[in-house]
Order: sequence, then structure tokens, then C-alpha cells
Amino acid sequence: MSRALPEYLELEACVLEALRDDLGETEFELLALNVHRFQATWNTPYSRWCAARGHPRSWREIPAAPQSAFKRYKLSVAPDRVTRTFHTSGTTSERRGEHHFVDVRLCAEAVRRGWKWLQAPTARLLVVAPAPDDAPHSSLAYMLSVLAAGSSAAQFFVSADGRLDAGALVSALESAMHAREPVGLLGTALAFLNFFERLQSRKFALPPGSFALETGGYKGSGRDIPKPDLYARFGVSLGLAPADIINEYGMTEISSQFYTRGLGLPHEGPPWLRALVISPEKGLEVAEGETGFLRIFDLANLGSVLAIDTQDLAIRRGEKFELLGRDPSALPGGCSRAADEAMRGQ
Amino acid sequence: MNTRDRAHHLSRAATQFPFLGETTAEILLALLEHELGSAVALDDFVSRGSTFVRAYGPCAILHIISGNTPAAGLQSLIRGLLLGAHNLCKVPSTGMPELAHFRGGLPQELAARVEISTELPGDWMARADALIVFGVDATVAHFRARARADQLFIGHGHKISFGAVFSDPASERVAAAARDVTVFDQQGCLSPHVFYVAGDARAYAARLAEEMRRVEQRDPRGPVGVSAANSVRSMREDLHFRAANGEPVAVWASEGSTAWTVAFEGTPGFPLSPLHRFVFVKPLPADMVEETRHVKPHLLCAGIWPATLENARAVAATGVTRICPIGEMQIPPWTWRPAGQPALASLVRWVDVET
Repeated sequence: MSRALPEYLELEACVLEALRDDLGETEFELLALNVHRFQATWNTPYSRWCAARGHPRSWREIPAAPQSAFKRYKLSVAPDRVTRTFHTSGTTSERRGEHHFVDVRLCAEAVRRGWKWLQAPTARLLVVAPAPDDAPHSSLAYMLSVLAAGSSAAQFFVSADGRLDAGALVSALESAMHAREPVGLLGTALAFLNFFERLQSRKFALPPGSFALETGGYKGSGRDIPKPDLYARFGVSLGLAPADIINEYGMTEISSQFYTRGLGLPHEGPPWLRALVISPEKGLEVAEGETGFLRIFDLANLGSVLAIDTQDLAIRRGEKFELLGRDPSALPGGCSRAADEAMRGQ
Repeated sequence: MNTRDRAHHLSRAATQFPFLGETTAEILLALLEHELGSAVALDDFVSRGSTFVRAYGPCAILHIISGNTPAAGLQSLIRGLLLGAHNLCKVPSTGMPELAHFRGGLPQELAARVEISTELPGDWMARADALIVFGVDATVAHFRARARADQLFIGHGHKISFGAVFSDPASERVAAAARDVTVFDQQGCLSPHVFYVAGDARAYAARLAEEMRRVEQRDPRGPVGVSAANSVRSMREDLHFRAANGEPVAVWASEGSTAWTVAFEGTPGFPLSPLHRFVFVKPLPADMVEETRHVKPHLLCAGIWPATLENARAVAATGVTRICPIGEMQIPPWTWRPAGQPALASLVRWVDVET
């Protein structure tokens, strides 16, 4: 049995208590430093990384693990007590990131309380993604299932092999309109785009109080449409205004989620989830309005690594950020991009 | 204007661009001699055995030029002008001022054969009887699919290069290796991503890092965008994490900036650099062909040292079309055939006369 487990359970109780809207800066600071100390003790690959980096005096100084480390190492405080693992998406030959959980209880609670913090409308949820049993290694499917579990009569419309049951979704939307019952549609941007294309000229005017939550990009699909265009499609096909559309920004390697609503507003997370925008040149936080990469601190990542350097770019907007995502030019540049693709295809 | 006059004018205009290497009229004429068998076959019939032959270049060549470096675009234009063609040059939307500067150095008669645009005018595809496309593989495929059956098509997809040091115990070629990495800030297809080094590759990496530091002091890297800087930062972090966990990896890098990076990696495989003066050093494998097998379609140039035929044989089957001494990677001679096919001869049409 892992010797880290008793301390994990103690800290889990503290973090669960901290997943609330009024979590203060001091409490976040103390807990983040405690969680870091715990992880730097028990998470072996991470502790080796921290060895040459000194002891942080504030949460901002906690050494962040590169996101890529999740692809090479089992980043867990109790690798022999892992009960659930989520994988990043990617081709079969590509090395995938793996996020290991001692217990998903904390993750589920972070999802639920983050949703509550967001004050999203209450509505029956229609999930345009696979049910969690059909995608057991998808953190996104898990997150959506947690939200669906909090809604009565939630339905899933994507099969295990990724096929969208557009007919069933159309029926569900028709029923909602007939009953004047608001619905919340949850899914990836790509899934919605596919649905809109299947609808062709068919249009719905969803009842007031309806909303959509879109997440993820168009990874691996070779498709990408600007967000204003996607939101215009929501308007045309479903009668939703941009203000009725929530964007979620999360990743397999973290447990909590950032959100924004409509167009032109920055992303923000609940108080237990923080982000700094860091200059890749200097390694320091950028000034207001400047661009850098995102360093994320998630208290709910108790069993793995609290602080992660992502590969995503963002513009600093106070304590929030405007997401730019993984700019295509951030991939291996120039001549190597095609080769990169070729190598993945091996 | 005959071929000899064109070669002289092109040579004069090329002197503004040292990165093109030596570009004398004699070299250009020798290139024609080398590829067409005669330097005047474009001007009149020349005797070839019992027949007479004459070469006709394309009336108009459409060059689709990518934004990495101006060298490839200028070389393509010079070849087109040497053949006497009219040249329609689609340059990147960010522009490529070197082409206009080059045109400015030409006499009116030749300058009139060069049109440059950041957009692709609607009639250019129709006007061209030859297409030369540089770009990502998708760009090449896009134009290849749109080329007419009667249009000559030459595609240059994305390419990568490497170096192989078979022996350099006194590190006499380290400065040359740094030059290959730093010229054009590693943005060219001839820029090495990695040097495979025999013997103590880690020590070689440390010496290369010292040289990269010196180059940065006298010839700093140009500005890079936040996205490019982030890819360098991200790769460095990944390597540092692996090093901390006992993998055979070491990183030497500029402090407080992403200006230069040398990464030793002891594991097999062809590493892709994020470029912008970021180079890998790896142990020289026993079998270079196997080591680079998965990037074979993309390999272009191998810099080697010592530059002997024996060492060239070890890399010749990797897929490259050029092998040169380390330090010379960025200055290809005019006789090199980038696509592995004759660059000029592929563009001409021959007329044979039997008398």
C-alpha cells in the first residue's frame, strides 16, 4: 500500500473543503503550498524535477511540470493506487498523455462545483458526446457525464465509435420545443459543427433559458472555423445568441475547468483554479495585455501535479486570460511540420 | 538577348545576395552545359551526333514561393530567367523584398520578364506552362491537383536536413557546424535539425554550445514571435524534465531568452527541432539509413565531416539529394538538383532535327 495514501486522504478533505466560491487568497496559498510539498515528496518524476528548483514561497513560485511530461512519466503520488486514467487524444502511434487518479472523487466534485460557480442555467442536458462507459479514458466524456448526472433525464447522442445520432438529437430538440422546456446542449465544437451540417437548412428556436456548452477544438479533424462563425451557426440552427453559449477550456491533465460566455470575454476559473500568462522568452509573468503561455494551478489535481506549463498561448487580462490556443506556428516550424505529420503516421 | 548575355546580367544582379554563393556567368553557363549539354542550345540548333537539337524553355513559369528564406525563391527565379522564360512569382503575403531588389538589378529587358505578387492573380495559372511550387506538402498537393496535363510541374514540399560528424577529435569543424545552424536562423530547408556525432557526442554538444553562444554575441538571432519562442521553451522544458529523471539528455541554452539551444539526446531517432537556432546532437548510429527511415521522404541535405566519399556513402541512401561538408550546408552550388532531378533540363522541351 502506498505510504502516501494517509496524507492524500487528509489533503483530499482539505481540498474538498476549499472547492467553494469564497475561497480566499491566503487559504489558496497555504493549501497550494501544502499540496505541492506533498507532491514533491511522493510523485517521484515530479520530485526529481523540483529538486533543483528550490522551495516556493508562494503559489506563483511552485515549479510547474511541462504538459509533455504526462506523455512520458506516470505522474502520480501513489502510482500503485491508481484507480482511473484519462488519456489525451491523438493518433494511435502518437505518444499520449496520461492523467492518473488515485480517486476521481475530487475531480468530479471540482467539475460539479465549478459548474455551480459558473451559475449556468438549469436545464435538461443533451450531451453531444459519448457516454462515459463508451469512452472510459476520455476526461471530457467524464466531465460531461458528471454534469449530466446532475440533470434529470440527460441523454447522450454519440456512440462509442464516435457516430452522432442526429435523428435522436433532432427528436429531443423537437420535444423540448413542443414542451417549451429549456435544454442545455453540451459537446465539442466539432460535434456541433457536424450536427449543424446534418441539419442542413433545418432550424430550431430553442425555448428561452436554453444554452450550449462547447469545448475543445477541432483536433485531428483538419477543420477549424473562427469562433464568431461557429456561434453564428448556433444562432441560425438553434436560435441561440452568443450570450447563451458557454466555452469550456480544460485539458486531460487538469481536473477543473475554465469558462467564458459569448464572444470577446476572457476565460476565468473558479477560485481553486488559477492561471498565469508567462513569457516564453523570459520565464516571467507577462504584463497586462501581453501574450505568453498558460501556467495552470489546479488544487483539484491533488494526486498528480498541481502546477502545469501548458503549450497554449493566451493574452493576460487581469487575473483572467484570453485564450489563443495552440497556435499552428507553435508546432515544429517551417520545413519540419510536414515531417512531423509523417512521423506521427508511422 | 541570348543566353550568354542573360547569364552575365543575372550574375551581376546576384552579387547583391552573397547567400546565393558564387554566381558568376561562367558558373551559370557551365550549369547549362552540364544539364543541357551545351550553353547555347537555347539560342540555336547545336549538333549532336548525326542530328541537330535545340532546347526551348517554358514561355512562362509560375513560381509559388514560401516564406522561409529568400534563397530558394531567388534561385528558382534565376533559373527561370536563365532559360529565357517569363516569371510569375507569387510570394508570401508577408512579402519577399529580395525578389524586387533582384529585379531592380536587372536590365529592362530581363526585368520585364519578372512579375511579383503577394496574391495569386486569376490568370497566372492559365498563363504558365510550368509550375514550380515551394511550400508545405498540402500546398504542393493543392497546386499539383490544379495543374493542367500540359503544364510542367515541379513540387518542393517541406524538407529537413541533418549533419553527421564521423570524426572531429580536435573539434575543428564546430564553428562550421554552428554556422550551418545559425544562417537564416535555421529557417531554411538546408538548416540542420541534428548533428549525429561519432565518439563523445555529449562533449561535442558542449563545444557546439560554446560556439552558438559566440555567434549570438556577434550575430544575434532575429526577432521571433511568441509562438515560435513558446515552441523552443516547450521543447527545452521537456528535455530538462527528462534530464532530471535520469534520461541521457542535456541542454545548453541562452539564459533569459530563447536565442540559442543545443540539446544532447542519447536516444535513437531523428529529433525535430523547433528551429530558430535550436539544434540537437546525438550519437552517430551504426546505420544512418535505419535511424532516419521514418523521415526519409523529407530529407534534403546531409552535412558531413570529414567530407569523404566513404562517409558520403553512409548517408547517401537516407533520401537526401545533397551531401556537402559541414559548414557549407547553406550554400548549395548551382549544379545541385534539389528535387533529385535536373533543375533546368526538367523544364526544357527539345526539338530534334534529322538532316
